[in-house]
Amino acid sequence: MNGKPHTERAVEGSTFTEELARASMPILGPEGKGRTLRADAWRRLLKNKLAVAGLIWIVLVVIVAVSADLWVPRYLGDPISIDTTTAAERSLQPPSPAHPFGTDQLGRDTASRVIYGARVSLLVGVVAVAIMVMVGLVAGAVAAYYGGWWDAIIMRAADVFFAFPYVLFAIVLLALLGGGVQNVFIAIGILGWPSIARLFRSSILSVKEMEYVDAARAMGAPAWRILARHIMPNAVSPIIVYATMSIGGAILTEAALSYLGMGVQLPSPSWGNMLADAGSFMFSAPWLMIYPGIAIVTTVLAFVLLGDGLRDALDVKLKD
Amino acid sequence: MPPLLEVDDLHMHFFTRDGVVKAVDGVSFTLEHGQTLGVVGESGSGKSVTALSIMRLIPEPPGKVVKGDIRFKGESILAMSEREQRGLRGNRIAMIFQDPMTSLNPVHRVGRQIAEPLRLHKDMDRKAAWAAAVELLAEVGIPQARERARGYPHEFSGGMRQRAMIAMALACGPDILIADEPTTALDVTIQAQILELMQEIQQRTKSAIILITHDLGVVADMADNILVMYGGKAVEFGAADDVFYRPLHPYTWGLLESLPRHDVDDKGALSPIKGQPPSLINLPPGCSFAPRCAYATRSCGDEQAGLVEMEPGHFSSCRFAGDAGFLAQFENRSSYLSDYAQRDSQ
Repeated sequence: MNGKPHTERAVEGSTFTEELARASMPILGPEGKGRTLRADAWRRLLKNKLAVAGLIWIVLVVIVAVSADLWVPRYLGDPISIDTTTAAERSLQPPSPAHPFGTDQLGRDTASRVIYGARVSLLVGVVAVAIMVMVGLVAGAVAAYYGGWWDAIIMRAADVFFAFPYVLFAIVLLALLGGGVQNVFIAIGILGWPSIARLFRSSILSVKEMEYVDAARAMGAPAWRILARHIMPNAVSPIIVYATMSIGGAILTEAALSYLGMGVQLPSPSWGNMLADAGSFMFSAPWLMIYPGIAIVTTVLAFVLLGDGLRDALDVKLKD
Repeated sequence: MPPLLEVDDLHMHFFTRDGVVKAVDGVSFTLEHGQTLGVVGESGSGKSVTALSIMRLIPEPPGKVVKGDIRFKGESILAMSEREQRGLRGNRIAMIFQDPMTSLNPVHRVGRQIAEPLRLHKDMDRKAAWAAAVELLAEVGIPQARERARGYPHEFSGGMRQRAMIAMALACGPDILIADEPTTALDVTIQAQILELMQEIQQRTKSAIILITHDLGVVADMADNILVMYGGKAVEFGAADDVFYRPLHPYTWGLLESLPRHDVDDKGALSPIKGQPPSLINLPPGCSFAPRCAYATRSCGDEQAGLVEMEPGHFSSCRFAGDAGFLAQFENRSSYLSDYAQRDSQ
């Protein structure tokens, strides 16, 4: 819009129809011109205070974790190696300016370990969810698009995964595969794909029935183009939301598995194995348990809040 | 020269778990350049399926053309490869859907959607197609088309979306425009605008229009020919004036009589056609309208001939359409024809 009222743009010889169309035209906001859906969603997301708080926290954790090598060892101390000469006197110190989160029983700085643990958690969250989204999207799209036998086989396979208790299944998988971070990725990915597949399948099925898909076919568009340009973009937003929340879930699962000794192995720090390690000092050195615990809770919560905000922001039907 | 479009005894059946649904069971008509064909009938009479069959948009299975043919400029559409059909769809034959609220994709800019058929069929690059889309939007009466093309469907009102759909259908300058109840989802003032726009476009581009509707008033305004459908069958086909003034099928009589009219005593009840349309799975043998027909006789249950030409260019499937005494029953009973005759003489 150029800001002028419509009447000033009166066109010579405009028909009655045009007049009517002009009169019935809804008034656009100042940013109405070329406002993209993505910009719209972003704007809606920024209005949601909880989602913004989640986003800020995630960005902060990512920055701290990524830049850890540059400053953590120098200022806080190495997260893994133990200085045997001073370990005894430095062990189990409560939080102090030198060690803001205190030290553990081997004299290592807890803050340093929490920060390096964030690397593991974020990596597990992102990689495991990437695996489950990739497998889930393909499985869901095949099931929905080809239907029939494909649909039946894929969905029944998904049901089998849903039939087992989640953590128990993860433990069995890790027992088969062996511990270690890569296998945690794989285990969470394998366990997570059925949810994504189901979600994407139902999403595609509902979008497939929309009239604009018929309109695209009536336009003479080939099948792949309809799938890629008309169905997929309308079907992925629930996946974005679910995947964001799943990152939180994957972090939690990793923590649980590491707590049980199946995930990240000591001495590498992860929030889960730090908690497990701290169990014996719960009363004498509670900071060992509190800080990794807070890290898990806040980070998982941040992803859930962001996912919740995304769900509202990506809903085209919800207009301000 | 072969006609632009020729639908020849089309039978489109759906093979479902419950049985064979004979959605279209013997429909024939021809369409020439610049003509408007009105297709009328109740819901479930096979109007839309006929249109979708021409576009080849019926999924097969469960649908299957068991008999008949559809020819575009003499060439069978049914025999074409998927690729050839795609070259026709949106290019030579375009379609406007019923509900403009759902027939535009919410995630793409309106301009991009109008540009899409041009990119598909005319091999235009992004920029040229966009410029053409802006022009098309202006042509269908959307003000400030340049800005509007950048908008998304949710920023358009219902009438504007239908205009955008029309722009999309017109993009490649099609020979045939199929409009499946294009005004049903719009309010009355907008309906009139959209119909006016379609007529304006037809005069300019000389394209043929197939207008599917259950609104006889709309058909009366626009159509050159009228095809009346009932229970998947064509029951009457002819020039609009012939069908309106000399209807040759009791079903058409019923349709005309059930129109609300402002000139009859104000408290008079409407006279609907009694009964329900038949289930398309178990069609009665013979004339499918017979069970609801006030004039039916026992012989109506016998095998039916389909459309028969009763007078030049005017077809009916009623076995009594040639019987002057039979036709007089309607003329005597109904105030409809005399009313129209009066109005015309004024």
